[in-house]
Amino acid sequence: MSSPRPAGASAISLEDVRKSFGKVEAVRGVSLDIREAEFLTLLGPSGCGKTTTLRMVAGFEEPDAGRILLRGRDVVGVAPNKREVNMVFQHYALFPHMTVEENVAYGLKLKKVPKDERSERVRAMLEIVRLGGFGRRKPGQLSGGQQQRVALARALVNEPAALLLDEPLGALDVKLRKQMQLELKAIQHDLGTTFVYVTHDQEEALLMSDRIAVMNQGIVEQIGSPREIYERPATAFVADFVGVLNAIEIRVDEVLDLTAVMRLADGQRVEVPVPTGVSVGERVTVAVRPERVRVLPPVEEDKGSGSRLDGEVALVIYLGTLTQIHVDTALGSRIIAHRLSAESAGDLREGEKVAVEWDREDTSVLAEVEVPP
Amino acid sequence: MATEAAVDATATKGGRRARYHRRLGTLGLASPSLGYLVVFFLIPVVTVVAYSVGLITLTPRDDYLSFQPWRDFLFGSIYLRVFWRSVQMALAVAVISVVLAYPVAYFLAMVAGLRKYTLLLVIIAPFLTSYLLRVLAWRVILQETGVVTSFLQGIGLVGEGESIGWLFNSRFAVYLVLAYAWVPFVALPIFVTLETLDQALLEASSDLGASRWRTFRTITLPLSLPGVIAAFIFVFIPTLGEYVTPSLVGGVNNFMFGNAIQGAFLLGRDWQFGSAMGAFLVLAVGVLIVLFGRYLNVQAVAE
Amino acid sequence: MNPAVSNGGRRGLWAFFWLLVVFLYAPIVILVVFSFNDRILVSFPWQGFTTRWYHEFLRNSAMISALKASGYVALVTAVATVVLAIPASIVLVRRRFFGKGLVSGVLLAPLVIPLIVFGLALLILFNTIGIPLSPLTIMIGHVVVALPFAILTLVPRLERIPAWLEEASRDLGANALTTFRSITFPLLLPAVVSSFLISFTISFDEVVVASFIAGDQPTFPIYLYSQLRLPRQLPQVIAVAVVVLIVSVIVVVASEVGRRIADRRLERQIADFEESVA
Repeated sequence: MSSPRPAGASAISLEDVRKSFGKVEAVRGVSLDIREAEFLTLLGPSGCGKTTTLRMVAGFEEPDAGRILLRGRDVVGVAPNKREVNMVFQHYALFPHMTVEENVAYGLKLKKVPKDERSERVRAMLEIVRLGGFGRRKPGQLSGGQQQRVALARALVNEPAALLLDEPLGALDVKLRKQMQLELKAIQHDLGTTFVYVTHDQEEALLMSDRIAVMNQGIVEQIGSPREIYERPATAFVADFVGVLNAIEIRVDEVLDLTAVMRLADGQRVEVPVPTGVSVGERVTVAVRPERVRVLPPVEEDKGSGSRLDGEVALVIYLGTLTQIHVDTALGSRIIAHRLSAESAGDLREGEKVAVEWDREDTSVLAEVEVPP
Repeated sequence: MATEAAVDATATKGGRRARYHRRLGTLGLASPSLGYLVVFFLIPVVTVVAYSVGLITLTPRDDYLSFQPWRDFLFGSIYLRVFWRSVQMALAVAVISVVLAYPVAYFLAMVAGLRKYTLLLVIIAPFLTSYLLRVLAWRVILQETGVVTSFLQGIGLVGEGESIGWLFNSRFAVYLVLAYAWVPFVALPIFVTLETLDQALLEASSDLGASRWRTFRTITLPLSLPGVIAAFIFVFIPTLGEYVTPSLVGGVNNFMFGNAIQGAFLLGRDWQFGSAMGAFLVLAVGVLIVLFGRYLNVQAVAE
Repeated sequence: MNPAVSNGGRRGLWAFFWLLVVFLYAPIVILVVFSFNDRILVSFPWQGFTTRWYHEFLRNSAMISALKASGYVALVTAVATVVLAIPASIVLVRRRFFGKGLVSGVLLAPLVIPLIVFGLALLILFNTIGIPLSPLTIMIGHVVVALPFAILTLVPRLERIPAWLEEASRDLGANALTTFRSITFPLLLPAVVSSFLISFTISFDEVVVASFIAGDQPTFPIYLYSQLRLPRQLPQVIAVAVVVLIVSVIVVVASEVGRRIADRRLERQIADFEESVA
């Protein structure tokens, strides 16, 4: 057992890690610092390289280039059984011929932990994952959710420097999955173990993580807290992958005080905060989240700031908690607005003329991601 | 109401008729093979037992309704000892075959990669050729006037007219040839079991700190054991009655139970005695199947 | 890192594999080589290359008639076995019924019975009923021996043919026989050919059962077995053996390769179909 490390220190560091399989470049220069006791998620679609990256940290693949540091020690070339990390596999990989107890005790036995201490630690861990009393059963007798918890216990009981989880909840049904997400988060918080989690489910990532690294085509496009990722997506891909997004291409007509504006007839405009270097005449892609878009009757008074467009309701979709309103605007693009169904004051009907409005602070420019050479 | 009931009645009747037709169809499909095997497989085996206790007689010399053939066999002959010798042979051959085949199967499943099925075919092909011809090949190689001895004579290691005793007409020759014959066959069920092993289990074991050897001992080997046992049984049982190889390369000292039975029928002409021995063998095989039948999984064999 | 095998382990296993392959094929190769040796004794020294043994066996009428008998028996056996095996396989794959385990057990039981017991059992049966021994009786026995193998060749192929193909045919109005003729059988054909070849090979090579229930005309294996005690005939016997071995290896390999190609084609056809309906 290692001595407690200060939170904030780097538990795992990846420095410009690359990996190809034949001609396919799975990981193209990933650099990442994972902090002690944090819950970090690698989020991205299939084929983005997140699982490969995880497996390189575990030691099942070796990077072609770059360094991987586990608590300061370069582990490239070190076999997985000699690394201080443990993995929870996608389909649990429980040993079918062993009982739950024997499964969980497996790693401890290999470390030559004495029998009494071993049984005690196994028992305690089974309690933590709420499987106390299941010790004698075999994996074949357990449900998917229970198996998943055994896999978790088996990894955690070894008190690893970090726990690596490869889409562990994928095989569970929705309700069970939501329950497990909360449990996992709670366990991580209580134990203080660093969790590195891989998933393609952005809701899951937002729910559980302290930080999210969004990956696409072998590189990390953005890393940040869930709020940062969601509200300030750095690239078009991140914006589109996480949540629903309105992306509009505008022509810059004016630049005032770090704000670019496009003007249309009848006071319609789109405003977006921009960094320096944006000039008039340029085209930029602008993004705003649907829940920040307000749908108003056209006669409503114009606030004067922020963006405003006239349009016609094309579609109203009831989604339970939310109602989604699609509006065709004068710009030619369709804007999607979200409203809490409970707040709907007056029904909107298709074909109605409306105005859509949103604030400047809720708008951002989407950058094209730069691929490292 | 009345019309509904009438509709229901025809629906059910139609359904019943369809099911009845289907049952007939199933019976029709299964009966040719089943019937054939019942007549030409099960009944003959029963006939052997019946004949051995005199329920059937074929010649005037045969005993009628008596256990004499059995008594002659069990108490009045050396053939129980011969049976025991055959058991040892079957055991040894099964063990050797499995021990040789396991690394091959492991290789094919874990190392061979994309070419594994082709390489599997390379291993299995000899098994699908004539058994007798392969025994013949070994006889030609091992006999005193054969390839090995003449080669050694040619380079001076063995004198003219001399031979290596243990090479031919020996237990060594019998075990060698039988193992040779069975190894290709044994490799298959073990390969199938190893191939279906989830690679993630091995990674998990490694992840938790186990060395490769440890992973093999605690995970791979136990999980592949059913395939190994099935293969073992599949070699053991037929080898109990083996007589061709012992007669061709074993010589007089390796007279096996199969040879004894063959002798009783083709030379000795004491058929009832031979039947008693044959029925004894069936019993032994039956006991083995009852004990280990659960390993003989049809699906594994079908591959 | 591969958790199953180390780099050294890999090399060791490759070596072991090839060593075993050499061990498996060496006797056959030796037989081939020495079949061209101009010497009565099949051994060293090499006395010159000759193909005379291959000619001489053709003049050996006993051997030729044994070969013919084997061929005839094997042919009929193969046909009968396949004819019996096809409905049996259909029942095992497509139908559910009470006692299915027992039925499959019976169908596959000949695999685990020592052949010598089966041979003597048939001998006694035929004597009890009064059927004289002849090639026919050999065929009867061989069908029993070959049947499990034929079924085990057909079943995997049948499992890969989706049941909904047959159901669609029925739905369109075809009866069971027509469905079988137009849909199932054509798709099953590669496996039918395979099981035919396997049954043929099994029967052609089979010596134990045949020894017990052959009449006056020996099959080739019976002839071979009896000749192995006579050194004079040996080179001719070897020559025939080589021919038979080589042919059977070629047949086995061709059959297996053909089967694989057919399987892949079937998979692709099904995948294409599923894609087009998706």
